[in-house]
Amino acid sequence: MMQLWDVEVKSRKIEIVLILAVFLASLPLILNYGLLILSSFSTEMVTNLDPTSFRPTIDNWILLFEGRLSVTGGVREDVVRYTINTAIVALGVAGVVVLVSVMAGYAMSRMNFKGRSLIMQMILLLHAFPGVALIIAVYLIFRATLPSDIELARIYSFAYVIVARAALEIPMSIWLIKGFFDRVPWEVEWAAIIDGASRLRVWREVMLPMVKPGIAAIAIFAFLAGWEDLIYVRTFLFDRTLATYIESNINVEFAYMPLLAAAGTLYLLPTILFFILTQRLLLETSTGGIKG
Amino acid sequence: MKKNIFSTNKVQLLIFLLPAFLIVLLFYIIPIIITVYVSFTPMRNWNIDKYFNVIVGLQNYNRLFSLITRDPVARQVVMNTVVFVAITLAINVLGGLGLALANFFIDERVSTGFRTLWLLPRMTPIAVYGLLWYYFFHGSSIGMLNSIAMSLGLIKKPIAWGQEVIPWGPWSIIIIVNGFVGVSFGMVIFYSALKSIPRELIIAARVDGASNWKLTTNILIPLLRWHLLFVTTWQLLSLLTTYAHTFLLVEWGVVSRTYGQTWALYVFNTAFGRGEQDQGLAAAAAVILVIFGAILGWITVRALGFNKMITKPKGDI
Amino acid sequence: MVSVRLEKVTKKFGKVVAVNNVDLEIEEGEFMALLGPSGSGKSTLLYLIAGIYKPTSGKIFFDDRDVTNLPPRERNVGLVFQNYALYPHMKVFDNIAFPLKIKKVPKEEIRRKVFEVAKLLRIEHLLDRYPGQLSGGQQQRVAIARALVKEPQVLLLDEPLSNLDALLRVSVRSELKRLQKNLGITAIYVTHDQAEAMALADRIAIINEGVIQQVDLPEVVYNRPKNMFVGGFIGNPPMNFVEAGVEYNETVKLIVGEDSVWLPQEYIEILRKLKLQKVVLGFRPEDVLVLKDERQVEPGSSVIRGEIFTVEPMGREVLLTVMIGETMVKVYAPPTQYYSMGDKVFLQINPAKLRLFDPDTTIALEYLVKT
Ligand SMILES: Nc1ncnc2c1ncn2[C@@H]1O[C@H](COP(=O)(O)OP(=O)(O)OP(=O)(O)O)[C@@H](O)[C@H]1O
Ligand SMILES: [Mg+2]
Repeated sequence: MMQLWDVEVKSRKIEIVLILAVFLASLPLILNYGLLILSSFSTEMVTNLDPTSFRPTIDNWILLFEGRLSVTGGVREDVVRYTINTAIVALGVAGVVVLVSVMAGYAMSRMNFKGRSLIMQMILLLHAFPGVALIIAVYLIFRATLPSDIELARIYSFAYVIVARAALEIPMSIWLIKGFFDRVPWEVEWAAIIDGASRLRVWREVMLPMVKPGIAAIAIFAFLAGWEDLIYVRTFLFDRTLATYIESNINVEFAYMPLLAAAGTLYLLPTILFFILTQRLLLETSTGGIKG
Repeated sequence: MKKNIFSTNKVQLLIFLLPAFLIVLLFYIIPIIITVYVSFTPMRNWNIDKYFNVIVGLQNYNRLFSLITRDPVARQVVMNTVVFVAITLAINVLGGLGLALANFFIDERVSTGFRTLWLLPRMTPIAVYGLLWYYFFHGSSIGMLNSIAMSLGLIKKPIAWGQEVIPWGPWSIIIIVNGFVGVSFGMVIFYSALKSIPRELIIAARVDGASNWKLTTNILIPLLRWHLLFVTTWQLLSLLTTYAHTFLLVEWGVVSRTYGQTWALYVFNTAFGRGEQDQGLAAAAAVILVIFGAILGWITVRALGFNKMITKPKGDI
Repeated sequence: MVSVRLEKVTKKFGKVVAVNNVDLEIEEGEFMALLGPSGSGKSTLLYLIAGIYKPTSGKIFFDDRDVTNLPPRERNVGLVFQNYALYPHMKVFDNIAFPLKIKKVPKEEIRRKVFEVAKLLRIEHLLDRYPGQLSGGQQQRVAIARALVKEPQVLLLDEPLSNLDALLRVSVRSELKRLQKNLGITAIYVTHDQAEAMALADRIAIINEGVIQQVDLPEVVYNRPKNMFVGGFIGNPPMNFVEAGVEYNETVKLIVGEDSVWLPQEYIEILRKLKLQKVVLGFRPEDVLVLKDERQVEPGSSVIRGEIFTVEPMGREVLLTVMIGETMVKVYAPPTQYYSMGDKVFLQINPAKLRLFDPDTTIALEYLVKT
């Protein structure tokens, strides 16, 4: 939408200068992302900005899905399986985060109890808590509780990485979804209570449907957090994901670099997809995903 | 009507808070206690059976202290952290402010595109984001920076930017890589704050003949004071504790371990890295980080008045 | 059906006293209007009765049952909110059915009851829509239907008509009254529109700053306001107030400027008892005869002279603003005469309709002697 109110008074020239400036600052990003994707369709890396090294091919993608690391090499990597593993973690994180924060966020927004304000501040603090200080002990607990049966241990490692990663996202998600609950008029909740509903019922049947955009927002953030994760997955998960696949193959890659570009592009795809689909939501609520 | 145990307010409250409470207990409170405990044990190589019950007092802290004062590599960690946090923080806050202001003054259709683009690094999988910069700073001629510098005639041979013995190469790389991630936080906060400024205020200033520059320095920035403080302190906390991106850069050899390792990464590498893993020492370093973070965080939350933002629920039900 | 009784009910929000020591009884099947300016504590009072707020002190009874600490769902009240508070994600049918669903009423019976109440409120054709697809008037009826379907003992309505246009308002409010009488529900109806209160209510309770000012039949509230606030709040334009001195001779009369005002016997006796030196004379704009010529004044009647300040033709009447000394009053005059600014006029007040108030306490004198 145009900022109609400012149209008459703002200077077109300054605007063009500003656009150019922001564009220049964005150039490294644009080039980085663009050339990665382009390289995945080329027989040679095009990151050197030399158009002559671009020779179009889809071999990289075929090799990637065939699980071969290079044209010649014999090592097999089940990339489809890795993608599924990544998705399992991401969906799991999203599920846990949504369930937990939607419950706690409601209580924080709508129920009065002693220490409520203090707890809310503590939750905010938890979000800024040094994750690296936690991961040592979280891993210690993991080792101590790991089942000895290998199949069970694999499943356990999935469950553990999901909940452990979700735990990092939950504080901010509670704050975010609380904001959405805050905006639902009290009268609607009171109406339901006068109609005879318990708080659990009000929550489920009246409040949840009214904060759907908020649920979507925290679900997307949590999904992306689970999807992008490297540290937790490499620390806890027995199976490989796309992140650990790329991480561990960076050194092998010299034989056939563009294949890794294809893997990276594949890994990037859902992120980009979410970006296009939920641009507005992300721009408005993205203060949630605070990293470096 | 019969009384249902699940319908009393206290019980309902507990039900709602239980899952969150369990998560916080299991993944924050108990771990932090264990971390503090482990910092008093000689735990290494995850040998829980052997070391968990051995208490060595402040030995790990003493070791850490003497490492920092004597060992050049450990001392470099402190230096790296200070430089990295200070410069990246400045870039994040000022860059975020600049981006927000620029986007504020340009057509919203264009600015939406820019703002989305700048959000991308934050959401991009760490491995992919690392991959992008891996190619950018690659030490061979496929590296983007190398090929640009060579075609401009600045250098003759490709350079391994992050491996040079001067620390500024690795520092610049970790600052740039993390800077692109962090800048969007300030941008989003400042931009939405700018957008919520009553437009009458801006129109009035325009009518009075204020230029963009005057408008920015005299009206917009003063109105963003709270947000500036928030972004600064919050980013400071984040930068102190972030390590995932830098971990990859170091692991992939984009930057040298000596000049690329910050305190948080040092904790992680000491506990999980290659070679001997020294969890006792790592835990001690982690505890120091926690104390730092907790004090800083608490000051932030109080000083910014978050407690006043939490309104009381209405009604007595 | 039940009667509702409030005993010394006070509700404080921090330092704000929203409802102050209220005693109020609404009889079984009665339609009580709760009238007061914005922020006077009307909604708070309803929420106290519904159980959403708990009183800071005092007790609430339904018949003889103390419900003060009962949660809302055990009180069986229906509440229509000022902003309707329909569930936006449910269709109209499900909105109305919600209270029954909670009570685990069988599906068939729910259908029957919803259709019944929908028919009563003439919204059968809307059951398949979402609240967002309805007009204000339709939403309001849905809200009433939702409150009625559970067959509440007490129906509480919080300015339900405030969002409707003037025409719709009149038709919906007569509908409301018919419904309430047919069903025989005890109802409390909050409004700050006094015409609505007059038209609907069996009795009117007037509240200001959390304190109940008067509870009476509509015509009593109008004709014998208990204090200057009620007189000044009810009526449009409201009651006029003029300060007057009192002269005690063989008879008792008021002195306004250089004019004398004769009083009815009732007030003479009261004044002799109270021996006030100053009173406030109150009269309604329509209880005055406006004369342009002193010769028209009937002998023996009392007039107050003044000067026309503004003239507003209103169709059937002309509304004049007249200065009596420093005081401004509003009076209606027939449009048969021509009035203009600055004209001298003589206001002949209907002695049966004039009211006197104590300037210190603002209470009407007749209530002062009673208490
Ligand atoms: N939850 C609350 N917290 C603090 N003060 C409140 C609260 N609810 C109401 N008040 C105050 O109590 C007083 C009475 O409010 P109430 O809503 O009952 O007025 P009302 O008569 O319904 O007004 P209106 O006609 O505007 O709806 C007001 O001064 C209001 O500011
Ligand atoms: Mg109200």
